Amino acid sequence: MLAKKSGGRILADNISDVDTIIGMQNVGIRYGQGAEVLSDINLTLRRGSFHFLTGKSGAGKTSLLSMMYLSQKASRGIVKIFGRNIAFADRDCLALLRRRIGVVFQDFRLLDHMTAFDNVALPLRVCGMEEREVRKRVTELLQWVELSKKINDRASTLSGGEKQRVAIARAVINRPEILLADEPTGNVDSDIANKLMKLFVELNKLGTTVVIATHSERLITDFPFPRLHLQNKGLKIYRPVVLDGTERRL
Amino acid sequence: MTKNVVTARKQEVPLQDDNSSVFLQIMVCISVFLFGVTLAGVLSINAMLNAWNESILGSLTVQIMPIVEDNKDAAQAEVLRQQSKAVEFLNQYEGVEKAEPLTDKQLNYLIQPWLGDGVDVSDLPVPRLIDVKIRKDAEIDFMQLAEKLAEVSPLASIDDHKLWLDKLINFADSLRLLALVVLLLVVVVTSGAIFYCTQTSLGLHRYVIEILHLMGAKDTYVAQQYAHKTAFLGFVGGIYGLVLIIPTIYVVSGLAKQIEGGIVSETSLSMLDWGIIFSLPFFSSLMAMITAYYTVKHTLVKFM
Ligand SMILES: Nc1ncnc2c1ncn2[C@@H]1O[C@H](COP(=O)(O)OP(=O)(O)OP(=O)(O)O)[C@@H](O)[C@H]1O
Ligand SMILES: [Mg+2]
Repeated sequence: MLAKKSGGRILADNISDVDTIIGMQNVGIRYGQGAEVLSDINLTLRRGSFHFLTGKSGAGKTSLLSMMYLSQKASRGIVKIFGRNIAFADRDCLALLRRRIGVVFQDFRLLDHMTAFDNVALPLRVCGMEEREVRKRVTELLQWVELSKKINDRASTLSGGEKQRVAIARAVINRPEILLADEPTGNVDSDIANKLMKLFVELNKLGTTVVIATHSERLITDFPFPRLHLQNKGLKIYRPVVLDGTERRL
Repeated sequence: MTKNVVTARKQEVPLQDDNSSVFLQIMVCISVFLFGVTLAGVLSINAMLNAWNESILGSLTVQIMPIVEDNKDAAQAEVLRQQSKAVEFLNQYEGVEKAEPLTDKQLNYLIQPWLGDGVDVSDLPVPRLIDVKIRKDAEIDFMQLAEKLAEVSPLASIDDHKLWLDKLINFADSLRLLALVVLLLVVVVTSGAIFYCTQTSLGLHRYVIEILHLMGAKDTYVAQQYAHKTAFLGFVGGIYGLVLIIPTIYVVSGLAKQIEGGIVSETSLSMLDWGIIFSLPFFSSLMAMITAYYTVKHTLVKFM
């Protein structure tokens, strides 16, 4: 009862809860025949929540996110996204689920041979949106991330920060229900970082569930969101940093 | 609708950079050439067979050779006995409508121009003839008929021209079968090549395809891009092949017409035949498209 009272707003009760948008139970992940990178992960993220994801380099942040964006399968345990057990979803079903998830990859993963415009348009085109609507939306968003001038430049010719903004635009263009961002503010100056964070917060207010992996202490102290922390292959959850700078485990 | 979108913009999977594109076009070009030339051969053989069959069908003459012996009556009786056995056999034979021996009067009539009036054929060592009417739709193996007939009546034989034509027809038939096997092989080998090219290309573009998947693209989305591109390559390769086929057919049929005897006078292709040959690039395009599409669907299952 107590757990429910204190944690109810941050975490859902269990992975089958209607409120749970991302649920993991006893999840482990390993690559090939190697040792597990993450073990016994239990996690229930509520619809509309906002979390940071932290941990040392190599702690498994990207691995955890990749299970959430349906790129890696858990090697054991149950993963539920949008209430669906991923182990039982077929390929087309996974595709449809991925359309509801926006991802900013740590290494951007832009299509280098295409323009900034085409890259951002990708999620709209794969679900068959009309070209006129695509043009309108993409132009608008690229303007917002201050890339109007680079709209027809090939992705390979953009700077690191510009690529990152294209990657973020691509992640949010489809108004996803879940936004997963892996170090989204790593390559941009603090002005743009703030602006991007505000975008994420804005999206979150509109109902998007957000998870942001970051190394930035500043981000964590500036924005009062709970934190998922990876350590020793396991997951600890911390309440938001409060004004006096202390942080309590949940 | 999605089709227009795909053609209107740059493809996301950069297939235009594939080295295998050139290979595929050459491959399809050669295949279409082989296919077209072999097909032209098959079609000409068909035309020849039709013409030959018409001349072989309908009727047939069986001769019963005379026996030259001192005892004329006995010899005559033996010939007539064998004739009636042959007639009986022929009338029961599958595909024969009616077999009737020519009467003495008819034989006389046939011989008259050579020997003049008043000759009694029964006294002369001339062959007796049986007129055999064959049913229109019947498919008779004349070699076999000749063999069986010889068993029943050793003096009986079928006229040579028919037997020779029958052998030729059998030969053309097996040639046609061989050609059909070649056609099938060309199709199989080409699909195989397209299969492997497509698989290689998928491996090459795995990074891009995985990004497409992560953006929510279904396998069909990728398969369509491949189908589109490969259909184009198949069409262009097919056109090259067609350009090679036409002069080849002209040269070969020119040579065939020089053969004496009118055996191959029927080799010229009909309008329909030409229509089929000219539509080969569409078929190669369609086949390339379908093969690529299903290869992608089949292969992507192993991808993320
Ligand atoms: N594709 C892979 N194959 C094999 N091992 C992998 C693979 N991806 C990650 N790993 C291993 O899993 C561990 C966790 O990696 P991961 O990328 O999840 O860490 P991270 O927390 O995102 O690190 P960083 O902060 O540096 O991005 C690492 O030890 C890494 O070597
Ligand atoms: Mg990482």
